[in-house]
Amino acid sequence: MTYRTASIVAYVVFFAVVLALPLVLNSFWTNRVAIYLVYSICAIGISMSWGYAGILSLGQGLFFGMGSYMLAMSLTLAVPENNPVPQLMLLNMEPDAVRDLCCVTTGSFLWIPFRSITVGMIAGIVVPCILAAAIGYVMFKRRTTGVYVSIITLAFALIGQLLIINNQPLTGGFNGLANLALLNIGGFEFDPYGPSAYYTVALTLLAVILLARYMLSGRIGQILKAIREDEARARYLGYDVENYKLFIFCVSAGVAGLAGMLFTLTSEFATPSLMATSLSISMVIWAATGGRASLLGACIGALIVNFVGSLASESATFQPVWPIILGLLFVFVVLFMPNGIAGIFKALVERSGKAERFAEAELSAREA
Amino acid sequence: MNALHRPSQSAALASAAPILRTQNLTVRFDEFPAVRDVDLSIADGELRVIIGANGAGKSTLLDLLCGKTLPSEGEIWLHDRNITGIGEAAIARSGVGRKFQTPTVFKDMTVLENLQVASNRRVRVFQNLFDRVKSGPSDKEIAVAERTGLLGSMKRKASELSHGQLQWLELAMVLSQDPKIILLDEPAAGMTSAETDKTAELLLDLAGQHTVLVIEHDMAFVRRICRTITVMHQGSVLAEGTAEEIERNPAVIEAYLGSATLSHA
Repeated sequence: MTYRTASIVAYVVFFAVVLALPLVLNSFWTNRVAIYLVYSICAIGISMSWGYAGILSLGQGLFFGMGSYMLAMSLTLAVPENNPVPQLMLLNMEPDAVRDLCCVTTGSFLWIPFRSITVGMIAGIVVPCILAAAIGYVMFKRRTTGVYVSIITLAFALIGQLLIINNQPLTGGFNGLANLALLNIGGFEFDPYGPSAYYTVALTLLAVILLARYMLSGRIGQILKAIREDEARARYLGYDVENYKLFIFCVSAGVAGLAGMLFTLTSEFATPSLMATSLSISMVIWAATGGRASLLGACIGALIVNFVGSLASESATFQPVWPIILGLLFVFVVLFMPNGIAGIFKALVERSGKAERFAEAELSAREA
Repeated sequence: MNALHRPSQSAALASAAPILRTQNLTVRFDEFPAVRDVDLSIADGELRVIIGANGAGKSTLLDLLCGKTLPSEGEIWLHDRNITGIGEAAIARSGVGRKFQTPTVFKDMTVLENLQVASNRRVRVFQNLFDRVKSGPSDKEIAVAERTGLLGSMKRKASELSHGQLQWLELAMVLSQDPKIILLDEPAAGMTSAETDKTAELLLDLAGQHTVLVIEHDMAFVRRICRTITVMHQGSVLAEGTAEEIERNPAVIEAYLGSATLSHA
């Protein structure tokens, strides 16, 4: 079996399992797995920018959080008692303020477009993309590379988190946005604990991974790999390296934003802790464990790490040390399995392929 | 272009149609002029060799020409286009190909993939977004691979190649872009004598179709490719002429007195 066939089989098996799971899971676990699949989409975003183009963003949580907030804002306004002004603003407004979304608190007009759920859903992808374009433009035009990119993106995620926490009247602050309406599109309601939300997430994952794979297996994937290998050489071959990096950074942010929206859909809240350093770093660990250069690998990495993590959180012994285990896992993966689970899978397939060919050769030699 | 290439003829050519021209090209690193007032004029199809001791500014000159280093003063013209400061990628697209001294290729990719990235002339992001890559080499990729002796190694990863093969791969990548000017920094460095012979042949073969600018230390190699030589010394052009003229030039002899290059020469 060649590696190509093996990876097609892996994709088919993975999606068969993912699509069949709700048939055997209760509603609690359907919801849990749906959230893990959301994390898988995040890991795909990381794999696209880090695995293919070598851009290690430690601020992916910023884009994830933005996506989550954009949809959560629309779903907040969809609750009847949050009109004309959301409760969170009433609690924090000046006594003499006008009770209208335009000017109840500073900046509250920013909420107005989110009365439309469509705007919320589009903003969930577009706003992270624009943000990434702005950050990326400054970074890449200045030819920032390597660890500095990680530090800058990390800093921006922290800034985002602080801005949200410190602007409580506008953003709900530390409490985030909870008490959301269920997403309702054309009369169809998405139940976070039922198969509707689960299949929305699963099918989005399927679409994202197939589109990403189609794109990255083409010319642009080859060029991004070349840029990862030797940026200067790519430049002297005539490629505007900055534009390529900017492009994949924005796509990766858009994917994170999409995942953020699905997080709101399945978890029914948005919180500033989505932008915390720990979550951004966890995303990198998921992708690294599964194999950063493999989209499906990153996806599976996110599922496994989160599943084990949730088992650990139920045990009194493991719960407090889980972050330490996660950290050690990262060190272990980086040192001993740089291509993660996908790398091991590839090595096994290639070895068995070689063994097969060897056996065939021996057989034909014996016959001769 | 033929082997009997006289300086007078070369001068005439250079004034007739210089493809590459520099004016007062100067770069200073912390006030230290690494390249000083260099006026080069290279004719279309010429094979020009630049020699000079370590620190004479040869590599810096190539860095200036390909945009790696920005000049402090002066201009670089390609035909009738001022390419000073337009950026490495734009310079490359305008037809200047650079081969570095230590081979720089995409190590984790196969020879074919390296050539595919290089030979792709549509460099914009959205031109490549949904473009597929052919599984086999194109005619052009086959042609450059054949020319550089890499045809049998197309499926191999660049990291598995020998040093000489890496040098050729980089050259093949530059060639597959069909550049007007090829800048080569010590192409024979670290090669076996058989590989050096082959490189010399390749360079002679390239001249005429392309304009070639070569930096070289090895005078034996320089004599083999035997064209107009520019001698650099302390950042400036010291002399220009054929190998025999250069070797007899008193200024050159003085500049190189006791240096390794003279003993080779």
